[in-house]
Amino acid sequence: MLELINVWKSYEDLQVLKGISFKVLEREVKVIFGPSGSGKSTLLRCINMLNPPDKGEIFLRGINLNKPETNLNAIRSRIGMVFQHFNLFAHLKAIDNVSIGLRRVKGLSKEEARIKALETLNRVKMTKWADHYPAQLSGGQQQRVGIARALAMEPDVILFDEPTSALDPELIGDVLQVMLDIAKSGTTMIVVTHELGFARAVASEMIFLGEGTILERGTPQHFFTSPKSERVKKFLEQLDILYGGHEKLLELSNGEENK
Amino acid sequence: MIFQARPNPIEEFLVVLGFWDHLLPGFLIMLWLYGLALVMGFFLGLILAILRQYGGRIFSRVATVYIEIVRGTPLVAQLLLLFYLPTSLNIPITAWKLEVSLTLLDKDMTITLLNQATLTGIITLGLNSAAYQAEYFRGAILSVGDGQIIAAQSLGMSRFSGIYHIVLPQTLRRVIPSWSNEAAYLPKYTVVVYFIGVKELFREAYYIITNPYISANPLTVYIVIAIIFLIMISLITKGLDILHKRTGIPGL
Repeated sequence: MLELINVWKSYEDLQVLKGISFKVLEREVKVIFGPSGSGKSTLLRCINMLNPPDKGEIFLRGINLNKPETNLNAIRSRIGMVFQHFNLFAHLKAIDNVSIGLRRVKGLSKEEARIKALETLNRVKMTKWADHYPAQLSGGQQQRVGIARALAMEPDVILFDEPTSALDPELIGDVLQVMLDIAKSGTTMIVVTHELGFARAVASEMIFLGEGTILERGTPQHFFTSPKSERVKKFLEQLDILYGGHEKLLELSNGEENK
Repeated sequence: MIFQARPNPIEEFLVVLGFWDHLLPGFLIMLWLYGLALVMGFFLGLILAILRQYGGRIFSRVATVYIEIVRGTPLVAQLLLLFYLPTSLNIPITAWKLEVSLTLLDKDMTITLLNQATLTGIITLGLNSAAYQAEYFRGAILSVGDGQIIAAQSLGMSRFSGIYHIVLPQTLRRVIPSWSNEAAYLPKYTVVVYFIGVKELFREAYYIITNPYISANPLTVYIVIAIIFLIMISLITKGLDILHKRTGIPGL
């Protein structure tokens, strides 16, 4: 459904993406992870053409996005995006954040858009907060509205750019739960995240990005049991220390003391 | 010893206020210049700010150059330039004018709303204010941040639609406190039209002071005018303050 062929992107002198290729099938959930600076966010911004790639091709349902005659606004309405810092429209209530795209892009009437927005807010369990402004909501609630905003447009695929990394730990759960729900309902998703629990639960494939290239790819099973490259092993180990593996941390600090 | 009779201050004020049939038209002319220039500067300034921020290389340059030239040259020079421009281009100046007359408490007053000089004044003040307002708007646009328009575009909204529906509503709310600066400056800048003979408050003050029949203390006349400005500007800033609170985004 979505296909990237040899995508390159640089910012001035910095080569960020060095030939990325992969395919996303219908109803698939791809998880992209890797160290910071490896080009994960750039990759997502290339896919929805907010930062068009310098070289390479991206196809969405057979349409070549790099062709100059492609209507990028129409394409973007079919590619949802959820941002790390939510980027909710600050002057609009939660419900209007969700309905504005329906009205201004899909041309729905005010009433139609409202009904659709309420349905979508219900899917992310935010109906109760429909009339609140973003600044009146917690980070987790804002992100759920952000997901609803993307979801309401019924896009072909939704891109998640580290959706939980700006959240307090106790707020992450609700957001991940919502993401699990929509993944299970058959939404095609590309998720940049370090939430390995989420990846384990729903990812059909995980892609490890390092220095602008795909260093390793495979099922969650593969990554959690037998990662091949040393780089990946080390990265997973560090994540493990952060998200649970306390024995390792203790070992490490004991090791230091014993020196 | 010769004692000069010093009139008591209250009486002096009353003498000056007795010229209300001159102060009122002067005040109305000032208000007229101010209002039109502010509105003109508002729309032009908004367009300049948007061009400077989103206009791409060429339009952004043009807007920047305009803003810098206007802000870098004296207002009086701009006014006189525009005033003498038609003559030097050999465009004939006709003595056209638009006047309103009113009678209040048996006094007849004639206010020249538009003639060559007044029109030049309005255009100069509007063009000048636009450059300053543009910078206030640009500051507000920058404070809204890129994330908003990126999010709008990610939904499929065009750049124009994103600016209009997402960036502008937030910009106009955020700009009020700094923009009130311009709203408070501009009434005082209208005074420059004195140089091209528009009968605004200071021209009327000159008339009062030089009146051969009634002697009015110049100091008192200028104090009265200062008080008129003070009251008017206080009301404007208070009004903008209320507007800012009313339009505030809940939670922010």
